[in-house]
Amino acid sequence: MLRCPAFIKITASRTLAFGGLILLIGLLPWLSAQSPEYTVLRARYADREATDEALGAIRAELGLDQGPFHIFLGWLGGLLRGDLGTSWISNTPVGPGTMTALGVSLTLMACALVVAASVAVLLCIPAMVRGLAGKAARDSGAAAAALTSLPEFLLASMLLVIGAVWLGWFPPYGWQGIHHAVLPALALGVPAGGLAGRLLSEAISAALAEKWTTTWRTAGAGSAAIGAAVVRRALPSVLNQIALIIIGLTGGAVAVEKVFAIPGLGRTILGAASAQDIPALQAGMLALLATALIVGSLATAARYALLGPALRSGTMPMTPPVRAARRWDAVVPLTCAGALAAIMAGGLMRDPFTSSHARLAAPSLLLPFGADASGRDLLARVAHGSMSTLGTSLLVVLACLAIGLVIGMFPLAATGPVEVANAAPPILVGLIVAAIIGPSAHGAAIAVTLVGWAPLAAHTAALVQEARARPYVGILPVLGVGRVRTLWRYILPAALPSVFRHAMLRIPGTALALAALGFLGLGPQQPAPEWGLILAEGINYVERAPWAILAPALALALSSILAVSTASLGKYPLRTRRYPAPARVKAR
Amino acid sequence: MSTELRGLNLSYRYSGGKPWQAKPATAALTDVSLSVGAGQSIALVGSSGSGKSTLLRTLLALHKPHAGVVELDDRPARAGSVASLRWYRRIVQYVPQNPAGSLDPRMTIQQLLQEPLHQLRVRGDHRRMIQEALERVELDPAHVRRRPGELSGGQNQRVAIARALVTSPKILLADEPVSGLDLPLRNTVLDLLGRLVTRDRMGLLFVSHDLAAVAQLCQRTVVLSSGRIVEEGETARLLKEASHPVTRQLIAAVPGLPAMSESAKHTVMADSQSSYNRSGLHGRNGTMLLQP
Repeated sequence: MLRCPAFIKITASRTLAFGGLILLIGLLPWLSAQSPEYTVLRARYADREATDEALGAIRAELGLDQGPFHIFLGWLGGLLRGDLGTSWISNTPVGPGTMTALGVSLTLMACALVVAASVAVLLCIPAMVRGLAGKAARDSGAAAAALTSLPEFLLASMLLVIGAVWLGWFPPYGWQGIHHAVLPALALGVPAGGLAGRLLSEAISAALAEKWTTTWRTAGAGSAAIGAAVVRRALPSVLNQIALIIIGLTGGAVAVEKVFAIPGLGRTILGAASAQDIPALQAGMLALLATALIVGSLATAARYALLGPALRSGTMPMTPPVRAARRWDAVVPLTCAGALAAIMAGGLMRDPFTSSHARLAAPSLLLPFGADASGRDLLARVAHGSMSTLGTSLLVVLACLAIGLVIGMFPLAATGPVEVANAAPPILVGLIVAAIIGPSAHGAAIAVTLVGWAPLAAHTAALVQEARARPYVGILPVLGVGRVRTLWRYILPAALPSVFRHAMLRIPGTALALAALGFLGLGPQQPAPEWGLILAEGINYVERAPWAILAPALALALSSILAVSTASLGKYPLRTRRYPAPARVKAR
Repeated sequence: MSTELRGLNLSYRYSGGKPWQAKPATAALTDVSLSVGAGQSIALVGSSGSGKSTLLRTLLALHKPHAGVVELDDRPARAGSVASLRWYRRIVQYVPQNPAGSLDPRMTIQQLLQEPLHQLRVRGDHRRMIQEALERVELDPAHVRRRPGELSGGQNQRVAIARALVTSPKILLADEPVSGLDLPLRNTVLDLLGRLVTRDRMGLLFVSHDLAAVAQLCQRTVVLSSGRIVEEGETARLLKEASHPVTRQLIAAVPGLPAMSESAKHTVMADSQSSYNRSGLHGRNGTMLLQP
């Protein structure tokens, strides 16, 4: 009875979202606010004067004077004939280049997936072992939190320095063989695997705490059988997430591809956007879109194959919402908060702007974090940066949380927009936003918000679908509870703790997305003390002066651990501590 | 005028697969008519898949029947918006299968019982109504601040019944409320439901495939098979003179029932009567003292 409308809604949502996106891509030449004819004139005819006449000729040649309809239809017509367009810069077809780049990116992605899967499995082992031994669930803790917060381009640069420069085991750049893929795959796979591993181990702990595991154990099922069943039970709730992480890899590859000079799709799009080669940009975005579409469909199919009947018939087992409290819960966040406060207390009084020290001065008593390449006090810059970076990312994450919760409440309708928003790398959206409203801190924040809500919406959607299958939601109509109240009073509270935690987990990532945009000149401008900027500046000198990236990296790691451990505190309601254990009154 | 819930000529089909798949719709109910009045206890029995739950959902106006009508005192109750059915839900309430699972683990007992009062716009002193409902199911009112996770399975079962009773309904639909309970607890719940009928003059539709429970509790029995009523009548007579094979099968599943003589039957009834009278037995701390 329910199947058919759900299927139609999902299909409609996908069609609309992708249709809208294709319309947007097709209209890019028309939307582009920074008259592209100048760029094209410079690139193609360096000798010609930028007269109105010359510009008009180029406009006519590119077809820009024909209005939005014509531009879109012309592009779509070409697309249907298999013609992706002709580069504005080199005047050659963009199709072959895009396909080569896509192949490179997919290879890199496959390597990164192997790494990510290994990391995720490693992170899940403790939860599984504890659960099978009958102990209460425990968070994977600071190690995993730190792993997920490692910025891809910091990790890439560190791997480049250690693996290629110091040890000389791997080539520093290029794309000629499998040994070229090792370092980029590590840089790309470790953060993704960290995030997936955390989500999965949480789901595994929850599944292990469900009553059916006890039944299985009593029935004589071995640990291996229970473990396999638990994985099968835990996977569906995080499968959408994992699909989004996989899709995100293509986008996340931009920084990594840039650091290692890999001719992949991300780098191609970045290059095309900064050169305003819009046909190449359009082709690259289409390739990304196709990848996202395929991965998303596979994940949905897998989720329904694993969970379908249970989702429909309202027989999902209960997940106990409350877990045992731990004695040392407060220690980790307090330590991190203390360390950050110490950095801020030490640095906020100092001057972050004046170049009063030796260039790249080493850390000393007077200059605890050393100086940057312009001779500015790094402690002062990091401390002042904490205000703008953390403040902005907190606001962005809260905005994303609000948007994600609202959109995630309608799981079927959300499918399309989520997949679209998530397949778009923040850098790409940042370029589009910057093209429309100009580069600024606001522009960067808007760009990151535009894509940042998607994983939260996907997570909410998965939880909402599970919550709706619960018996205590099924009975609500009989009690006179309306749809709005059902969402607000029952489904939201079931979803909120996990999603809030997930949002907090994204603060460091958001800070880095902001930082990456800043590095590309799309965010806060020099000399603003901003963590990402400081980090990006320091990377150029990482061999001579490692402290130049150590200070901002330390600050980011601290804040990410703080965010994660604080959010996990919120999961243990204080109330439950008043009643130690449910008093089971046995009827005699 | 005494309240009466009537379902007239109800039919319901579950549609097949996707529209393009040529899978026939399954008829879950075919031309079923049934009525429950105040002070009556009607059992609805049948094996799994016979359409009991579908009939309940239809009677609860959770979905529209493809044919037929559900009426309460000649006023039709059609599945629709929450607001348009408040009047109906105040009078017709429901105890679900697996009652404990139907309680949101995040809410306190107070909040759980408050919800229908608030949502169904019941006027009056809600605190007092909650106290009374808890007393009716013999649950210590001190539990109102606790959450389902802090109570035993049996206590949660009673909370779910209390939630159905809190709006003072006239008709109660119970979907296998005693399946999965241990014997003493089962008897307590059956006594409780029996008292609602005999003392409080409520109408009870008791869905079960447990004929022993039915014999103890219900005056009349309706047997459902493949979405049709195949047999109905006074419980005692039906158990003795069952004609339909489905009914015989159900009876055969309960040891002791078919061979039961008229005098033995009286003993059973007397037993259950005496356990009604025992209902005043409370332990300290609100626990029930139950005898085997």
